[in-house]
Amino acid sequence: MAMQVAVEKLFAIMPFLFGIGFIAPLIAQSMAVWGWEAPSGMSPIMLGLLIGGSWGLYATIRGRWI
Amino acid sequence: MTDNPSTPDTISQEVFDRQEADGSALPLAADDRLDRHTRVDLLKQERAIAAKYQGGPMWGYVVAALGGFAVWLALFPLTMFGVVHPLITLVVSTFLTVAGYVTCHEAMHDNIAKRGSRYRWANQLVGEVSLLPIAVPFSMGRVTHLEHHKHCNHPEKDPDYTDEAPNWWMAWYKTWWNRQPRVDGTINRYKTVCMALDTRESRIALKQTMVVQLIYLATLFTMAWNGYAIAAAVCWWLPRQLGLSYIRYFLSWAPHHPREGQTERYVQANIFKSHVGHFLSMCMETHLIHHLHPGIPNHKTRAAYLEMKPILEKRGVDCSAL
Repeated sequence: MAMQVAVEKLFAIMPFLFGIGFIAPLIAQSMAVWGWEAPSGMSPIMLGLLIGGSWGLYATIRGRWI
Repeated sequence: MTDNPSTPDTISQEVFDRQEADGSALPLAADDRLDRHTRVDLLKQERAIAAKYQGGPMWGYVVAALGGFAVWLALFPLTMFGVVHPLITLVVSTFLTVAGYVTCHEAMHDNIAKRGSRYRWANQLVGEVSLLPIAVPFSMGRVTHLEHHKHCNHPEKDPDYTDEAPNWWMAWYKTWWNRQPRVDGTINRYKTVCMALDTRESRIALKQTMVVQLIYLATLFTMAWNGYAIAAAVCWWLPRQLGLSYIRYFLSWAPHHPREGQTERYVQANIFKSHVGHFLSMCMETHLIHHLHPGIPNHKTRAAYLEMKPILEKRGVDCSAL
């Protein structure tokens, strides 16, 4: 039962985890492939975490990605 | 892998028996002028034709499922190490994802090998490997698909009812919308249906769904943080998104639109002409035949339809498309 509750809590924040776990590195690696620079001297992964994290947080709160 | 072709499929047998037991009229699509004797006679003719197409060699599906799964798995290292271009991976993996549903669909109806057959393991194996590209376990796919057949087009009981949309472009949009984290569609609806069923099978399906989804996400995260995010995207993430939309559109929306009120036997699914042809629409143009006789393998539904067409027309089925 405790396991089930833990997994349910994990899935409840999964969009946020997806944002930092997948979207962030995907953005960083895509920028590297296409030779794009992050603004304001930021590293690509920092930009990825900023976008992926905030987008994932939005999806977690709203229940939809857009 | 060849089962008795004269054995009627369980769902159509169940429907037939229930109607006989109730003593109620066999449901008709349009022409209710037919008397009971004519209707029973037509049903017997229909079932005789169906029996000819049920069963037969199914090794092709087993080879396709295992071969497709092997290629899909191989794409991961081949893409990660630059042997295969990501765009080629995306196209091949999306095709395999969609094709996997076709082979799994046969396993859901026990068409690869029936219960008690010495090849039963093949049915289970095909089902298990075929749905992994969409990150859904066979158990979940099977439970919910059989519920779809039992309660076809029922707004609450049909797990696929949420795919309904007023037109084709809204239908494509809906396939994406239904995958949003807290929207009551596709996998969220499937989980709700399984919880409501609360059977041994549905409880197993829920547990396995959780495990498969965790494996799917852990794989994406691990690959991404080890420098293979693009490979993960084109091998699994994007093909799953594109494949699910394609499957939902051609397997759920197109053959069942419009869904509202279409719950009787001969109106549950349509005969329609697909713009992408019979093969690329996963043989769904003759989906009504599948709902009438799920024991007929997917590749035989067109031939069965053509032979059954005069009977279906007498039933009032609109056969003008094909």
